[in-house]
Amino acid sequence: MPQLELLLPAIVFVPFGAAALALWIGRLAGQRTGILMVLAAAGSFVGCLQLATAGGAVVFVREWIPGLKVALSFQGDPFGLCFALLISGIGALVGIYSLSYIPALAPARVGRYYAALLAFMGAMLGVALADDLILLFIFWEVTSLTSFLLIGFWYEQEKARKGALTALLVTALGGLTMMIGFLIVGMTTESFSLRALTEQAALRDRLAGSPLFLAALLLVLVGAMTKSAQWPFHFWLPGAMVAPTPVSTYLHAATMVWAGVFLLGRFLPIFGASPVWAGVLVPIGLVTFLLGGVQAFLDTDLKGILAKTTVATLGMVTMLYGLGAAGQDALQMFSHAMYKGALFLVVGIVEHATHTRDIRELGGLRRTMPLTCILCAMAALSLAGVWPSFGFLAKEALYAQLLDGTPLHGWVPSWLVVTLVVLANAFLVAVACRIVFGVFFGSPTTAARHAHEAGPGLWLSPAILAGLAVGLGLFAPVTGELVSHFSSAPRTELHLSLALTYLGPILLSIVSLSLGIGIYVGRAALDRLHEVSRGIPTMQALWDKGLEAVTAAAVGFSVRWQSGSLRWYLAGSLVFTVGLSGLALQRAGISVLQVPISLQEMTWYGLTLCGMLGFTAVMVARSTTRVGAAIALTSNGFLTALLFVVYRSPDILLTQILIETVSTIFLLLVLYYMPIFRPEGLPPMRRFVNLAISAAVGFSMFSFVLLSTSPQFRELKNLGAEYLTRSMAQAGGANAVNVIIVDFRAIDTNGEITVLVLVGLLVYGLLRARRKAA
Amino acid sequence: MSGDPILRTVSRVAVPLTVWVSIVIFMQGHNMPGGGFVAGVMAGAAGAMYLLAFGTAKAARFRWWKVSVIGLLISVTTGTVPFLMGRPYMQHAIWHFDLPVIGLYELPTATFFDLGVYLIVLGTLMTVFVELAQEGR
Repeated sequence: MPQLELLLPAIVFVPFGAAALALWIGRLAGQRTGILMVLAAAGSFVGCLQLATAGGAVVFVREWIPGLKVALSFQGDPFGLCFALLISGIGALVGIYSLSYIPALAPARVGRYYAALLAFMGAMLGVALADDLILLFIFWEVTSLTSFLLIGFWYEQEKARKGALTALLVTALGGLTMMIGFLIVGMTTESFSLRALTEQAALRDRLAGSPLFLAALLLVLVGAMTKSAQWPFHFWLPGAMVAPTPVSTYLHAATMVWAGVFLLGRFLPIFGASPVWAGVLVPIGLVTFLLGGVQAFLDTDLKGILAKTTVATLGMVTMLYGLGAAGQDALQMFSHAMYKGALFLVVGIVEHATHTRDIRELGGLRRTMPLTCILCAMAALSLAGVWPSFGFLAKEALYAQLLDGTPLHGWVPSWLVVTLVVLANAFLVAVACRIVFGVFFGSPTTAARHAHEAGPGLWLSPAILAGLAVGLGLFAPVTGELVSHFSSAPRTELHLSLALTYLGPILLSIVSLSLGIGIYVGRAALDRLHEVSRGIPTMQALWDKGLEAVTAAAVGFSVRWQSGSLRWYLAGSLVFTVGLSGLALQRAGISVLQVPISLQEMTWYGLTLCGMLGFTAVMVARSTTRVGAAIALTSNGFLTALLFVVYRSPDILLTQILIETVSTIFLLLVLYYMPIFRPEGLPPMRRFVNLAISAAVGFSMFSFVLLSTSPQFRELKNLGAEYLTRSMAQAGGANAVNVIIVDFRAIDTNGEITVLVLVGLLVYGLLRARRKAA
Repeated sequence: MSGDPILRTVSRVAVPLTVWVSIVIFMQGHNMPGGGFVAGVMAGAAGAMYLLAFGTAKAARFRWWKVSVIGLLISVTTGTVPFLMGRPYMQHAIWHFDLPVIGLYELPTATFFDLGVYLIVLGTLMTVFVELAQEGR
């Protein structure tokens, strides 16, 4: 079915087209540009649905860079489509919510917001559906860039700029390491296609046999871990909470942070066989899970709390992938997206109504905002994993998996895994209690007293999500089939049921629930612990210090290396040139000593000229005024021209005379503005170094000229003769010098004249600007 | 700055003459001493003479950098045309014309490239001369 095949690129590229349109429409339509976002997202959603119901994975392959084995290829497998459905579906809801949430700003700015959001959606869909690794990488980096724009939407605030920059640096750094991993994979297997790598065991064997296998594995893992905010890269996510709430919902709850985990799902069949896979992912996932849970409970900013629970859930899924339990990835992804999306949007409503996100300033909102309270409670039930919510099913499936044994084992013993998972879940339960009771119950605070219920534009999207967060739990068997169809390992049996028959997981659930309530009740003691732990440096602080150190090193280097002293630059370039040419001569085994020199061939006028040349050269160096030096330099140049007369080289003679004339005019024009020339008292060491450099340059030039004219050298390699013979035959010109410039080495000349034009433009621009400023 | 009368009188003849010589040098460049670069420098020198004799006011009104940009466009186009025709970038050909009076005339396409070089050298030199001379005003 060719039409279906074309749907794949359409799903990905239509949002990009809409983004370009939004930039333009935004100026006219302002806030209503959001409708475009809703339409584009809904369109992609319908396209994904059509592909999902088509049966059988649809693929789209077109040639792109065949020389590098890179193709423009997409695949519509269930796992990718499930992610794409989530991206486009939540995208539509976020679009609806944004229509009411984004305040009346300058229309162009609103247009830019939707353009970035749409481009982000397109890139995310690209990540979900790309089959080619290079294509995947490109979309991956586009999500980093667009998320930078979105996080920094309130760019007037310094915090927003900093958060956006940190997020960009961390995720882009991870993306680049990931690219190196992809390149290793592609170069050892000669295939960049995920489908081929997953399906063909021969390719995987070749990869596993490569000495770079471990490097590729670790590099790809770094990419996934930075994007999914795994410890120790978790810190950028709470910092990114400065973004507008719809953006946080979309990027940092439902889609972008899942890209890393999604990548793990894609790579589990490729890398999973290595013990390093489980050995790295299980502990990292566990640490992230527990740390996220604890930090979420201790935070006071509502969005920060939610961000940290997201970090925790991502850690849990990372751990599951580490254990090879891919059968429930779609279940966890869906259940998290529903309740976390709803919670983020609810927080947005609360902030809209009370102008604060600090949980300490909130309370008793259930009277003024009853509907929001119910939505929040529904989502929180799912977060805590209370029967009969969707979250309950997810948590049961997780416990059942851990109790029944997993396909892979890291070096972490399974009893420890179970204990830590129960503990981390207990913290999530405590967080759920804290959000609901802290914000909506208790006596109303000053901030809460003036609150008002939100309009339908704001509560519609969270209502849909919260409804799904509970409702999908009620229809457990249907949900179960759906999520196992969409998982990256669809053949795994998932028994999701609300019937309390499988005792082990239920017991663990009860333990984590009661432990969580216990933590919530005894939170005063934890607060004291929090006070104690303040002294420990956070990853954010370490990262900031690292950045400072890098900047300081760069500044230190630039100040020393780019000192602004022309003499230093000149010395550097000259030493490099002399070193390079000396090395070339030494490599070729050519020495000046082999060249026989006889002064008799030089006539008396030749010798006289050389003597005068030497004299003027010394005068240039010894002159105590600039004009004196300029005159000596000019005389030196014209004497050199005379030398060309003596040795009958009219072409170079012409050039030399003209160049001398023009540079003399330049010198005279410039000299007027130069500071007064003072003989400096250089320390003897510096004088010696300068002398050594000058002598080396002189000697090197001398030997090159001597060598190029010596008979032996001409026998060895006679470029001149070759050019002369080819000049007429191939280029139709007798003047070999000019033919070399315009024909044989035309590309070199092309570069040189471009530089010349740029120099002219720069002189024009700089001098004009300075005169204007004066 | 208006130079002395002698310089001005000489310049009236010398400047056009130099420009003429520079064009000759440019045209013969493919077979005899000369070429776009040298001819460009010579035209630049003529320009400098003009500036010294008659001052910069008139010359400064002209945007000399445009000359160099046009030159770059000509050069790059010369290289791009063969590329678009499926040959290597900057591959030159030789055109033969059978002209009524002159007879058979050979024109290598490299000449167009060289014309670009000529204009660039002239344009850049004049830009720098004029801008530096303007500094004192």
